[in-house]
Amino acid sequence: MSTSHKTPTTSLVPLTLCWLGLCILTLLSLGLGQWFHAAAWLPLLVAVIVWFKGTMVARYFIESDLTHPFIRRVLKGFIAFAPLWLILTGFYGGQFAQWGSLFLKH
Amino acid sequence: MAAEAVLDTHVVREAEGGRIPGNKGMWVGITCEFVEFAVLFIVYFVARANFPDAFQNGAERLSRVSGTVITLLMVTSSFFIACSVNTMRAGKRRQSIYWLVAGLIVALGYPVAKYLEISSNRAQGINGEEGLLFNHLVHATWGILGILWVLVRHSFGGYSVEDHHGLEALASYWHATDIIWLVIFPMFYVLA
Repeated sequence: MSTSHKTPTTSLVPLTLCWLGLCILTLLSLGLGQWFHAAAWLPLLVAVIVWFKGTMVARYFIESDLTHPFIRRVLKGFIAFAPLWLILTGFYGGQFAQWGSLFLKH
Repeated sequence: MAAEAVLDTHVVREAEGGRIPGNKGMWVGITCEFVEFAVLFIVYFVARANFPDAFQNGAERLSRVSGTVITLLMVTSSFFIACSVNTMRAGKRRQSIYWLVAGLIVALGYPVAKYLEISSNRAQGINGEEGLLFNHLVHATWGILGILWVLVRHSFGGYSVEDHHGLEALASYWHATDIIWLVIFPMFYVLA
């Protein structure tokens, strides 16, 4: 059996750095939305930022690296879910709409 | 000494399969919350794929300042509550209470900012019947009530270095609500 020696931290430094990173990324994504609102690649970049911010909260605030595998998987799955949909609808929105209308017709 | 003993206990729990921050019941609730919002996100994306112009025009009328302020409030209150947990682990009970009070004060800014945003939207003729945003506000309200309850317990010595699962459970819920907002924010305020 492998035994890890990771323990929950009592330091506030990683939390502070994470918080600063989240604030910077929030302002950055807002700026990107205003400067490049017509760019085709914007959904991809926004999706990456959303995934990164969610991962930071999970890793540093919830300490997901130390949690039970089920909790880790739930967090990973949910954090990846919306960015994947953002990319799919951003690049293949037309096809999704067509499939949706097919279901509605039947 | 006491803090070290608790951290050793956490190592044992990790060796057994990993920690459960807070308690199992809270994580059942958080998983249900994630499923609920995942379904709402699917509805959002299907609607967006079918009516891209309506979403683009609608998002341009929303206040980006409000969305950004709410995001910064959520992230900051989450940070303060994480600090409350870490200082409690270190045995600094008084500091932990101060961080929790700071987290509560910043968290209360969310409904205030949302109220101002809705008032501004109504003044512009936007009726504000947006289920996803309101649903998140409802979840955040449960969280704020939870912070109040945990603060009362904490103030009366309800938590110790050895046992502060209630504080960790609340922190986990608030962080999960924060993650959900971080997903919602670009959907309504960035991708206009």
